[in-house]
Amino acid sequence: MTDRRRLLGMAVPFIAVVGSMIAGLLLIALSGKDVPDAIEAFMDGAFGSAFAIGASINRAVALSLVGLGFILAFRANLTNVGGEGQIAVGGIAATALGLWPPIAGLPLGLAVIIPLLGGILAGAFWGGIAGFMKVRFGTNEVISTLLLGFVALLSVYWCVQSTALLRQPQTSSATLPESLPIADAAKLPSLTGNSESPLHIGLVICLLLAIATAIVLQRSTFGLRLRAIGLNELAARRAGMPGGILLVAALAMAGAFGGLAGAIMLQGEQYYLKAGFSSGYGFDGLVVGLLSRGSTVGVLAGALFFGFLRSGGISMEIMAQVPAALTLVIQGLIVIAVAGSVILVEKLQGGR
Amino acid sequence: MEEMLAIFIASTLRLAMPLMLAASGELVSERAGVLNLSLEGMMLTAAFFGALGSWASGNPYLGVACAILASVVVSAVQAWLSVNLRANQLVVGIGFNILALGATTLLYRIIFGGLSREEIPGLPKLAVKGLSDLPFAGTAFFQQSVIVYVGLGLIVLIWAMLNHTSFGLAVRAVGDEPRSADKAGIPVNATRWKAVLITGFMAGFAGAFISIADIHTFTENMTNGAGYLALAAVIFGGWNVGRTIAACLLFGAATALQFQLPAMGINVPTAFLLMLPYLLALLAVAGVVGRLEPPTSLTLPFQRGK
Repeated sequence: MTDRRRLLGMAVPFIAVVGSMIAGLLLIALSGKDVPDAIEAFMDGAFGSAFAIGASINRAVALSLVGLGFILAFRANLTNVGGEGQIAVGGIAATALGLWPPIAGLPLGLAVIIPLLGGILAGAFWGGIAGFMKVRFGTNEVISTLLLGFVALLSVYWCVQSTALLRQPQTSSATLPESLPIADAAKLPSLTGNSESPLHIGLVICLLLAIATAIVLQRSTFGLRLRAIGLNELAARRAGMPGGILLVAALAMAGAFGGLAGAIMLQGEQYYLKAGFSSGYGFDGLVVGLLSRGSTVGVLAGALFFGFLRSGGISMEIMAQVPAALTLVIQGLIVIAVAGSVILVEKLQGGR
Repeated sequence: MEEMLAIFIASTLRLAMPLMLAASGELVSERAGVLNLSLEGMMLTAAFFGALGSWASGNPYLGVACAILASVVVSAVQAWLSVNLRANQLVVGIGFNILALGATTLLYRIIFGGLSREEIPGLPKLAVKGLSDLPFAGTAFFQQSVIVYVGLGLIVLIWAMLNHTSFGLAVRAVGDEPRSADKAGIPVNATRWKAVLITGFMAGFAGAFISIADIHTFTENMTNGAGYLALAAVIFGGWNVGRTIAACLLFGAATALQFQLPAMGINVPTAFLLMLPYLLALLAVAGVVGRLEPPTSLTLPFQRGK
């Protein structure tokens, strides 16, 4: 019986993904574009070269991190919708530290590690605000993390608009509103040593954290307490658990993962800050977290899927003139299908 | 100075209008116990189909009708998922917002192509005879688009409906005590369905206002968080029509400062002014105005006998 239940639980995201992909293909056909062309462009952009594969996996790393943070908080029944903003503040912190000359001169890889830690702390702070608001004022974390997201995105805009903050020195009116590139010493080392592939050590960090998350969720007292507070806050408090601290910690950890994702995106590939650099990764990571149904392996699988989907989507837009917004349509359909089928699945599983 | 103030009031009203329309609609639904995070998606869908309808038919009023129809369709799917399938309302809402952003961007690129800024037939500004020439008040209140006056009328209707009709009573009953309401013979799910459709109708109006009455074109993601501000306004307003409208006006005024302060030669970073409505909304949902009690059964689906 449990095997059947588990199988059904996995079948739903799978069916939703396949169904939405088919809907995507239909949309391409309906818009009068050549479907085989579009598929070829998609495959080429996702898997076509060492560069494409490396870039897709790097995307998956950022998505996994946001997704891991999401399932941690979700264990306590908290929905962290603020991944986008947490990436943004992580990116700001990493840029500021990566541009600071004393840090670039540090030995032992500290020039890489300190900006990463800065990103983690900034993200944790951003997530922690939502946790504090939840505990202190009873503010629903969905609304607060969303609004904090807007504030964070506009903070990036502010940072790159003002030379007093992170904007590069304005030498002419054509100077773009961007930061200077971070010091070479602060860039993430390549994983392969192959200059063709952008794959960096973010992948290793991500896999280690995925293992850690799985252990925390399944084998630690902390994980158990998160679950207890998520199932029944009042009962958990009566049992003597520090409810408030747990809730703040859960959202701060979710934020820390988002902040790290932002730092890794910046130090791994983008190297300089510009407005909108988070470009929807926070929302994609949220979808990854939702689809995983709380499983770490599910997060990694979903992140790989969306990482390649995004790379392929961009290539489709450039080579086959199919707007990349198609991937958003597919994602939206997946989320709605999965959320809408919860009752159906429970019925099939024999109710609760 | 007086002229400036009049312009400031006029632009506050103009910028608050879509928030007021969407928030008053969402208020009905939340009082009935259904939260539509998809408000943003409904507005964006409406803004797009409104622009499309107006552009295709050459008639802005047909455009408004298209906008409302599109948004009501979205709200019907939302109602089916939230009420009948008892899906997690927050998650479904997020899904709708992603879908709406993707679908409108996709259709816009396919139909209008690339980054066109083609102007669509918009609604005329209605200068109220005899009033629009008044000093001060004329500029501030009586040179707005037709939809503003219609919208204000609709908001008053919603207020009256919620507080002075049996339907309003039913809405509040199913939002607070669905079980008791059910025992008293009020059809819980049907009432919630109607409430969500009202939200869809008002969000459609709000979207139409943005694309047809205000900007006169569609741009990608043109609602840009207005739906979330409207949701925050409902919380800020303590689920009360008058206070929700006041919250919308406050957010509108904060947005209007972006244009007003530079015009007055006051130098504040644009980014901060852009941030201001969201910061205010954050303070609002944190309950600086006192801890507010939502309808008791908000986001909780109803199932008889459970």
